[in-house]
Amino acid sequence: MAIVEVEIILAAIISMSAPLVLAVVGETISERVGIVNLSLEGSLLITAMIGFAVASITGSVLLGFIAAALLGGIIALLICFANITLYINMIAVGFTLTILLGKLSSYLGQPFVRIPGPYVPQIEVPWLDEIPIIGKAVIDQNVVVWLSIASIIIAWWFLYKTKSGLALNAVGENPYSADARGINVKFIKYFYGTLGGAIVGMAGASFSLHSIYGWSNGHTLNYGWICLAIVIFGGWNPVRGAIGAYAFGGLQIMALKLQGVIFGLSQVLPLIPFPLMIMSLILIQYSQDKQFIPNRVRSILFGNQPEHLGNTFKRR
Amino acid sequence: MTKFYSRDVLENLMAFALAVFLTSIFLLLLGVSPWSAFVAILEGSILGLDNLSRVLVITSIMSLSAFALIVTFSCNMWNIGVEGQMMLGSIGAVFVARSLIGDTLLAIPLMIIVSMLFGGIFGLICGLLKTKGSVHEIFAGLGLDFVAAGLIVYLVIGPWKKEGIASTSGTDIIPEMSWFPHLFDFKFPVIPILLFGSMYLILRFIYSKTSLGLKLKSVGSNTNAFSRLGLSPDMYILLGFLIAGAVVGLAGAIQVGSIYHKLVPYISGGYGFLGILIALVSGRKLFIAIVVSAFFACLVVGGSTLQIKLGLHASLPGIIQASIVLFWLMIKASSIHIKLINAVSKSYGHS
Repeated sequence: MAIVEVEIILAAIISMSAPLVLAVVGETISERVGIVNLSLEGSLLITAMIGFAVASITGSVLLGFIAAALLGGIIALLICFANITLYINMIAVGFTLTILLGKLSSYLGQPFVRIPGPYVPQIEVPWLDEIPIIGKAVIDQNVVVWLSIASIIIAWWFLYKTKSGLALNAVGENPYSADARGINVKFIKYFYGTLGGAIVGMAGASFSLHSIYGWSNGHTLNYGWICLAIVIFGGWNPVRGAIGAYAFGGLQIMALKLQGVIFGLSQVLPLIPFPLMIMSLILIQYSQDKQFIPNRVRSILFGNQPEHLGNTFKRR
Repeated sequence: MTKFYSRDVLENLMAFALAVFLTSIFLLLLGVSPWSAFVAILEGSILGLDNLSRVLVITSIMSLSAFALIVTFSCNMWNIGVEGQMMLGSIGAVFVARSLIGDTLLAIPLMIIVSMLFGGIFGLICGLLKTKGSVHEIFAGLGLDFVAAGLIVYLVIGPWKKEGIASTSGTDIIPEMSWFPHLFDFKFPVIPILLFGSMYLILRFIYSKTSLGLKLKSVGSNTNAFSRLGLSPDMYILLGFLIAGAVVGLAGAIQVGSIYHKLVPYISGGYGFLGILIALVSGRKLFIAIVVSAFFACLVVGGSTLQIKLGLHASLPGIIQASIVLFWLMIKASSIHIKLINAVSKSYGHS
């Protein structure tokens, strides 16, 4: 294969996976603090719709992104409020929201179905794009793609290298001891839960304004569930999660190329992450019983589930 | 006060009324008149034998899914895998109908048994992943839903493909002997009603009269004490998933026998997920689950009238269902309804 062809395929994968990468990073942040945002399927749909709607009404892509991020944050805030303040099971709320938001997106999105609208423009950077491979694949993209790549690096650095990241992880692992150490558990859960939701909102907007232009009924169908699966497949690590998202993007590109050869591949493709998710969950648990594996290796190879994931924190 | 006006019933009615009220406000915000929407839904669901028959069939499907959730909830387990278990039930039913038996009198009884078997086994896999693989049942269930969906797509375009050309629109129609018959001329869906009615009675019996029911409940409330008694919690969790899968497998048989008469991708149609909402609202009580299912089924069936009469979008019933559930959860948790009852009874001088 010529180097040009590799460049084109790589650029397509990185561009196509950008929304999924953002969603995975957002959800990873909320899950690390213990909040499972199960509304992801609905959240992505409605933020994709709002992002496109606002952008096409105002003509400003930036406003579309801001609206989607705000909405994503508000949805996550609602889940946080229900769980942290009202002590409702977050799975119940997230699940109900998934159905509600999905239906709402097709109700409110009616005027915007299949109309042309603005999208994020491609930016050509002179000189820098002459760097082999990276030049075309990474530099000659648009703001959304750069944002998605930046989000991986920032999330990784924040989660593993900063003091605030340590507090975030502490709350996700054991909120009771974090509480005893004087960390404001409720505030941290609210803050990062909402932040994760806002990033998911931006992911929604980047679907409708970047990778799958426009809006139609069920525009991002199944991407929310796929993202949940990839977060787990990534072992709650933003870098591994992003690799999972890129791998899925690669499969999608492959399916497009092989469509004529293998019938039904595009129907089966969205289902592939789920068996992988179950297998990686089994592997995580399996590795936990093996004392001879050093903790560091374990968390890189198998991932580490936040101990308090999905549980309600109620001070005893 | 008589028993009917017991505090519990009053509180639930109040919470429900509040949830409907808040949903109506939400509808107003969406630019829909709640009054005409509810009237149209009622007309479209109860008037006319065709509609009533559809309401009954969908009530059966929803109740069975809600039962499946109530069973696993009693072991303190989520069963997000209901959709997949229902799909497997449908696969089982179509498997029988496509075989040589499909054109005989044995077809329907065997469809029912095999759908329970398939659904039950799929439920058991979820349970095994939980107990043996320590995989959280929510993620296991979600994953298995998509595995089942993939299995159906594979069957529809692969081994069970239509004569001539394979398409994702479904398999060939099954023989008429394996269609669930309607009673008399007024399309009374006798088999779905019998199925969910008998499941209701059986589950009620298990939970109120047998030690199995007690054990299923106690494994959920205190696993530690349970194992101290020398009982294996894992076994009862597995049993819970097995029963749940078998129950909702029947819903899959109804989808095939009463509605589609063939296997189509995503045949569960989201009713399993709705069953989760119903189980949440009904406070894990079997009878209330039936009542809520009937209400939700009216919303589904009446929703098509909304579309024709008021020109409203097909997504409206789902919006109403989900927002009622969401408001209900919030009201219950914040006990606004109790405060309201107290305030009212105080101002009227009752104790």
